[in-house]
Amino acid sequence: MEYDENGVSIVPSEFKKEIFEEARKDFRYEEYVRGCLNCGVCTGGCPPHRFFDFSPRIVLQNMKSKDPELIWTMMDEYIWACFQCFTCAMICPFLNSPGGIIAVLREIAVRRGFESAKKVLKPYSRVLLKLTAYGNQLSPDMIQPDFFPDWGPHIGYASTDLAVKRKAIPMPTLQVTNLAWDVAPETMKELYDIFDEAGVFKIIESVDPSLYEIIQDIVDDVRSS
Amino acid sequence: MAIEISNRLGLANVKSGYIHSAGRKLEDIHEQLLELEAKGEVKVIHVKDENKAIEADTLLGWKKKIPTNKLWHHKSCGQCGNIPGYPVSLLWFMNQMGLEYVDERNQTSCTAWNYHGSGTSNPVGLAAVAVRNWHRAYELGLFPLFHCATTFGDYKEMRNLLVEHKELRDEVRRIMHKIGRELVIPEYIVHYSEWVHVMRFEIAKLKKYDLSNIIATVHPACHTYKMIPEDCIYDKDIYAGKRTAVSTGVALALGAQVADYSTWYDCCGFGFRHILTEREASRSFVMDRKIRPMVREAHSDVCITQDTGCTTTLDKNQWIGKAMGYTEQVPVMADVMFAALACGADVFKIVQLQWHTTDWRPLCEKIGIDWKKSEEEYNAYLEELKAGGKTVNLYEYPKS
Repeated sequence: MEYDENGVSIVPSEFKKEIFEEARKDFRYEEYVRGCLNCGVCTGGCPPHRFFDFSPRIVLQNMKSKDPELIWTMMDEYIWACFQCFTCAMICPFLNSPGGIIAVLREIAVRRGFESAKKVLKPYSRVLLKLTAYGNQLSPDMIQPDFFPDWGPHIGYASTDLAVKRKAIPMPTLQVTNLAWDVAPETMKELYDIFDEAGVFKIIESVDPSLYEIIQDIVDDVRSS
Repeated sequence: MAIEISNRLGLANVKSGYIHSAGRKLEDIHEQLLELEAKGEVKVIHVKDENKAIEADTLLGWKKKIPTNKLWHHKSCGQCGNIPGYPVSLLWFMNQMGLEYVDERNQTSCTAWNYHGSGTSNPVGLAAVAVRNWHRAYELGLFPLFHCATTFGDYKEMRNLLVEHKELRDEVRRIMHKIGRELVIPEYIVHYSEWVHVMRFEIAKLKKYDLSNIIATVHPACHTYKMIPEDCIYDKDIYAGKRTAVSTGVALALGAQVADYSTWYDCCGFGFRHILTEREASRSFVMDRKIRPMVREAHSDVCITQDTGCTTTLDKNQWIGKAMGYTEQVPVMADVMFAALACGADVFKIVQLQWHTTDWRPLCEKIGIDWKKSEEEYNAYLEELKAGGKTVNLYEYPKS
């Protein structure tokens, strides 16, 4: 990697072009990126636009420019500001989907293990672990005061007698504390096969190798059970 | 400076002969799906007579059949993880109505929350997970009912992509063969809120409390009506057909007042990733764009939701607002939970409001519900369970 006088890495223009071509080759590209009137309705209705330096109109215009340099400027934290609510897609008069093309760009950032993606997703690893190793992604024992102090004192409700409180829920599937519902091991094995075949495990390996190793240990245990 | 608007009531009741077109010329994916079935490309989970479907209009006037019986519950990670009263209230209603369903362990997450938060999947992975779960309903001879709005949005998108792209179908079919399953697609992708909507008059027959003094504000979930917007229920008698009718429909049928507020179209601030890792954005959004307008403009007694992430985000992020001097608070619950309360379901054992953080007791008191009695009985029940007592379940696994 080359660096400029400020120590910032110099990304070759060929690489930026490769990233753009990768996005353009995605089979959803033509559906998500159509004509753009530059009307700004998408940005006017965009929820994260109110709190971040982020505009779905700019995303669309950059994609329409076909300029790899402009597209590259969005590949850092910019694309991660999007809430993925698809307000932009709902209200666009030309049926563009800036939220959709952002999902494509995020896939590329993660698949290629970009540092920006690694940094953004680092605090997200607990969810990734639950989902990929056990088949659902939010468990009652995750909702604890240590992790969510800003959710107020009542969040501690789940930290005492959790097992008996879950047992009192009148749905047998929900009477567990370490998963949202009790997923059968055979079901988890099917999910692992899907993740193997669709390349999902590989994606996780590229964005978080240590997490991938932990997940694989769990997967091996379940598969051998 | 707050904008005080004295009358935001009544808009939900406006009727119209207007049919939404939104300038869209879209192919009806349902017809294309049946064509693929005729060619032997896919198998379809059809709505059968035994599903006792009720028809509803969607955005563009297309008809959608909503099955009401013989359903396979496709649960939601967030609901089961931290809003358990959400699925329990739904099952409670189905039991009250003597309907048949299966809730089992043989189901995975749709994985779409993770995808929209982290990008760590792809269309093949998402579509294969969707088909895997659809096929499970198919082999049981049941119709799948999706509890989460993100599942609903994602599965609508995956159905469309599978119908439109042969390469995706081929790849997913290959993966399904590997795990001993087939490529099946439901005739309709149905969200639980659509079930609640078409059953609203049956639900209203069970009503125990007068709700005429209750002002509700509805937060429609983005992934219900903004993802594949043409496949979402609209009703000419609700908001004159200009907003999705689900959730508002059942609140009106139960006799509550539904009030308008200026930011009804805004998302909740969940953001998929933001709720966990950039929470200052989520909580600012909750207070500034949703809770304050609901309280200040509409004097809302309750915020009615139709999704997992919205219910969590809007409920959990109000307490921290006090740090910024925001005093507005409003209890948050899903349409089916609000309906269950109105129909006499137990506050603790069924609606499970004890897991919610924003105070819901004033709402119960305004409705006339004795939550203290319910709490006492629940605490006694917990003691029984601690002593080795058995849970009284709404449902037991099938024996085979």
